[in-house]
Amino acid sequence: MTNPMNRRNFIKGATMASVMSTLVSRAAAATAEDPLSIALVIPSPVADVGWGHALAEGLNVVKAAYGDAVQLTIVENIYEGPDADRIMNKIVAEGAKVLVAGSFGYQNGAMQIARRNPDVTVLHASGFMVAPNFSPFAAQYSQGTYLLGMAAAAVSKTGKLGSVSAFAIPELITSINAFALGAQAINPDIEVSVVWLNSWFDPAKAQEATKALAAQDCDVVFSNAQDTPSVVAQCEELGIYSFNLNSSMKTYAPKTYLGCVETDWSPFFKASIDAHVANTFTGANAFLGMAEGVVKMVDWSTDIPADTMSQIKETEAKIADGSFSPFTGPILKADGSDGVPAGSVMTTPEVISMDWHVKGVTTPLPN
Amino acid sequence: MNAIEFILSGMLAAATPFLLAALGELVAERAGVLNLGVEGMMALGAALAFIVVYNGGGHFEGFIVAALGGIFVSLLFAFVALGLRANQVATGLAIGILGAGLSAFFGKSYESFTVTGLNQIQIPVLSNIPVVGGLFTQDCIVWLSLLASAGLWYMFAYTKIGLLLRAVGENPKAAQSIGYPVIAIRVGAVAFGGLMAGIAGAYASTVYTPLWADGMIAGRGWIAVALVVFGTWMVGRVFLGACLFGMLSLAGTVVQLTGLAIPSQLLASLPYLVTIIVLGIISSNRRLLKLNGIASLGETYER
Repeated sequence: MTNPMNRRNFIKGATMASVMSTLVSRAAAATAEDPLSIALVIPSPVADVGWGHALAEGLNVVKAAYGDAVQLTIVENIYEGPDADRIMNKIVAEGAKVLVAGSFGYQNGAMQIARRNPDVTVLHASGFMVAPNFSPFAAQYSQGTYLLGMAAAAVSKTGKLGSVSAFAIPELITSINAFALGAQAINPDIEVSVVWLNSWFDPAKAQEATKALAAQDCDVVFSNAQDTPSVVAQCEELGIYSFNLNSSMKTYAPKTYLGCVETDWSPFFKASIDAHVANTFTGANAFLGMAEGVVKMVDWSTDIPADTMSQIKETEAKIADGSFSPFTGPILKADGSDGVPAGSVMTTPEVISMDWHVKGVTTPLPN
Repeated sequence: MNAIEFILSGMLAAATPFLLAALGELVAERAGVLNLGVEGMMALGAALAFIVVYNGGGHFEGFIVAALGGIFVSLLFAFVALGLRANQVATGLAIGILGAGLSAFFGKSYESFTVTGLNQIQIPVLSNIPVVGGLFTQDCIVWLSLLASAGLWYMFAYTKIGLLLRAVGENPKAAQSIGYPVIAIRVGAVAFGGLMAGIAGAYASTVYTPLWADGMIAGRGWIAVALVVFGTWMVGRVFLGACLFGMLSLAGTVVQLTGLAIPSQLLASLPYLVTIIVLGIISSNRRLLKLNGIASLGETYER
């Protein structure tokens, strides 16, 4: 990890740095060949797995490509709120020209920075606001969870699948719906149960939820937006299948790991930073999937039957070339009403704002 | 397995981190000291125990190191709050933040690692009873925490040391005037609180959720503090409260799967709501407050 920093170190260093930076910045402004300073701010610690890890890895690829021409700073453990705004402002004041704001809750603060500093490019995770120098980005996890749904239906003996999910927001609901639709493509009668933790971070609660799902006979569990291997490790202990998003956790469940919807942010980061350097960057909503090389399927379990696997590969190719979308009608809502009529496909704005479950998801959505 | 069986079998284990930490805090508060650093002491215990177990030290050793870590931080609290007579609330909060910071520092290179938990012990006959059998299939720490509850109950009810702790908490001047070392007794009580919080953290990170992640205690230390109030400083009620909180914590997940239309957010907030209600009731009239409260709780004591 390049120059890792946590909040505590940051605050300590910041006092000294602020004194120094006034002196240094004048001198630095004179030299044209300064390295491009890129900063990543994330709410969680950078571990070996998970959301923060995936973002950091993406930027490390850019750093490797540019070498000494790029300087990368990672500030981890920054809670969403005024603290985050202050720290992002500080980073930009100290010369960062590309800011990657790695959490939805940084949106307002990051947007203010973008407005005040037209020469700074801001990339913001999971948001919806756009400005000329501000791009929100998100992964189309649903493309991958659909395929894992197919795999889950093929390996499930009970016909019951589960998901441990953080908050009932559209991004997570969409992933679960695609999972259910993929499973129904193999077994139309399959059921999906969801436990909402109402917390982004509580490993103990995540494990309790996993046990509760197993007690209800679910034998495949989708760890949705869980940064720690809590769910995956618990499933290995219980002897049921599991999968997760962002980065592979196969080492935590060598026997029962079904696969991973990996996100490789480097193509997006590289393209954005190339554009920044060439002065051609324009902010746009980046909803990235297999076609952009951001969503990748890795570590498929060998327990998946060969014929299902070839079906999965076929579907994967169709999703990647754009000839198939998991959200192709007819789709019924969980309450039995029409979700998507036969023959039509949900548009990106519709997918991004999905707030209903598809038929087959048996647990209610919290209000 | 239905929802009732699931809750019965998991309730005690879910309650154990709350119970251990709350018992420690109960002893400190009975002696008149309010230590709000429980969350931080638990976090430090969790990190230390995890590091020991991950490096092959064994669970028992992990618990010992966690207990020592908890004692260390609590003695720091005692030095500032009792020795230097600083405000207990402010000191407790500061010490809590220190504990959380230390846990993040020590645990940095262990982020998201996992270990193996402890085996559950089957009790012959009892464990095989339908429905309630799961209640008797627990790991050894759960049984030890029940023993600790019983021991503390006995101590407060029947022993001289229990009486002494209460005297020091109710009227330190009187205890001092008949020759008891108030500060020393309070330091001991605070250290016991640290020990229990450390063990509670160790249970959370090496047995209940055998992994390390910064912030994994996730407010359980605060629930333990609330639990002491909820139990009106009585061991038996604190034990029942811990079971109730453990039960609610599990119910928050499993009720979602039964299709009942109870909002999961409401279940998640019930322990806090119940604590506020209990606080409201016991503070509603002077007699109840006098009967249940600790007279000198949180007050700085000067000889």
